[in-house]
Amino acid sequence: MGHGNYIPSIVATRQETVFVKDNFEETLSGGAERHYVVEAGASLYVVCTVLPGKSSSFDIEVDIVGEGASVELFGAYLTGGSEDVSFNIIMHHRVGRSCSRQLFKGIAGGKSKVRFDGRIIVAPDAQQIEAYQENHNIVLSEDARVETKPQLEIYADDVKCSHGATVGKLSEEEQFYMRSRGIPESEAKVLQMISFLSPVLSRLEESGRDVFEREVRSLA
Amino acid sequence: MNNLLEIKGLRASIGDKEILKGIDMTILPGEVHAVMGPNGAGKSTLSAVLTGKPDYTVTAGTVLFKGKDLLSMSPEERSWAGLFMSFQYPVEIPGVTITSFMKTALAAHRKARGLEPLKTSDFLKFMKEKMAFVGMKPEFSKREVNVGFSGGEKKRNEIFQMAMLEPDLSILDETDSGLDVDALKIVADGVNALRSPEKGVIIITHYQKLLEYVRPDVVHVLKGGSIVATGGAELVEVIENNGFDRF
Repeated sequence: MGHGNYIPSIVATRQETVFVKDNFEETLSGGAERHYVVEAGASLYVVCTVLPGKSSSFDIEVDIVGEGASVELFGAYLTGGSEDVSFNIIMHHRVGRSCSRQLFKGIAGGKSKVRFDGRIIVAPDAQQIEAYQENHNIVLSEDARVETKPQLEIYADDVKCSHGATVGKLSEEEQFYMRSRGIPESEAKVLQMISFLSPVLSRLEESGRDVFEREVRSLA
Repeated sequence: MNNLLEIKGLRASIGDKEILKGIDMTILPGEVHAVMGPNGAGKSTLSAVLTGKPDYTVTAGTVLFKGKDLLSMSPEERSWAGLFMSFQYPVEIPGVTITSFMKTALAAHRKARGLEPLKTSDFLKFMKEKMAFVGMKPEFSKREVNVGFSGGEKKRNEIFQMAMLEPDLSILDETDSGLDVDALKIVADGVNALRSPEKGVIIITHYQKLLEYVRPDVVHVLKGGSIVATGGAELVEVIENNGFDRF
């Protein structure tokens, strides 16, 4: 076939398969296993959330099988204890003229472990697609661990794809600037963490945002 | 009259490198002091130590601010006590708007004085006044702190924050660097308008530009980590004509 390791068949056999024919939105909290099959012209919008205290895993596979489909996946996660959190995301563009965007942001504290595995697979002949994936992390403590592994497998040539991943700390320079204006250190950290998560939190209902803000305060 | 700031024998290092080698300086209420010196003299270290920036170690000396031990206070406590520094390089804080930044700062100041936060409408009115005072456009209230600001806009934002927090002692660390004459005038007008018989200002600079607009009462020349000369405003002319070499 000349397309390297490309595996053309849908191999996933997950318990929960959702066929998306027009618009489908959902929020997945504290772990999920999903297989979405997104058909022509349909749109899928999923927000994943993780709050501290409980281990969770997200196993999400998206198959875009129709032209004109669009997919947005967001994730916000906070860990502060000894929990394990993992994301395993496969975004499969099987046809052309479709787009996907993924943004996952999280803050890991305590002795927690976070693992993010993200793959974008663009099938041969799936031309004129756009696929983006970003995963950004902040590590709060010495003992917290974050591993992020974004992967792109592109078998078509007329595509716009990008991925990016970062793991960093809260900027002490920002903290000092805020503290020099009288903002207490813990409050400065809260502001930093909320602003870091805000591109994803803005996707949540107000009540969901409030819960995150409360949990952020408990980590600061 | 009680001293506003009293620095005695201040020595400070970064890592194992000593940068300040014994500084003495006394500022009375109402005075404007200029600290001038060439690059590497220790000017920024002095402002960093006074504001409590981590990474600097004070190895000797004392600093009393309004009679209290400044060096034992956290950076936020120094701010609550009435100390302010206009940063040479204001920090960008993505995702935090000027409104929420200042609201949080002001609420913390009020809390330190045992006061409730201002009502939102009163806060916004106060902020609007101060923005107008430094010539900042109202839309800046929604901008993220310093993100995408020009050099002049950043410095103006510093003076705006100074006006909001109404400090007793303001340190302007190289506030004049990178400013064109118009921006410089705005900064100077802001500083002059905030001068009062109770308040003090330290202007840290390596050239005299800002001092043409804000006349200092006392000028110190800092070189090699020590104050090598102290005089009146006439020292500015001497430095302008002869540079720092003669000190």
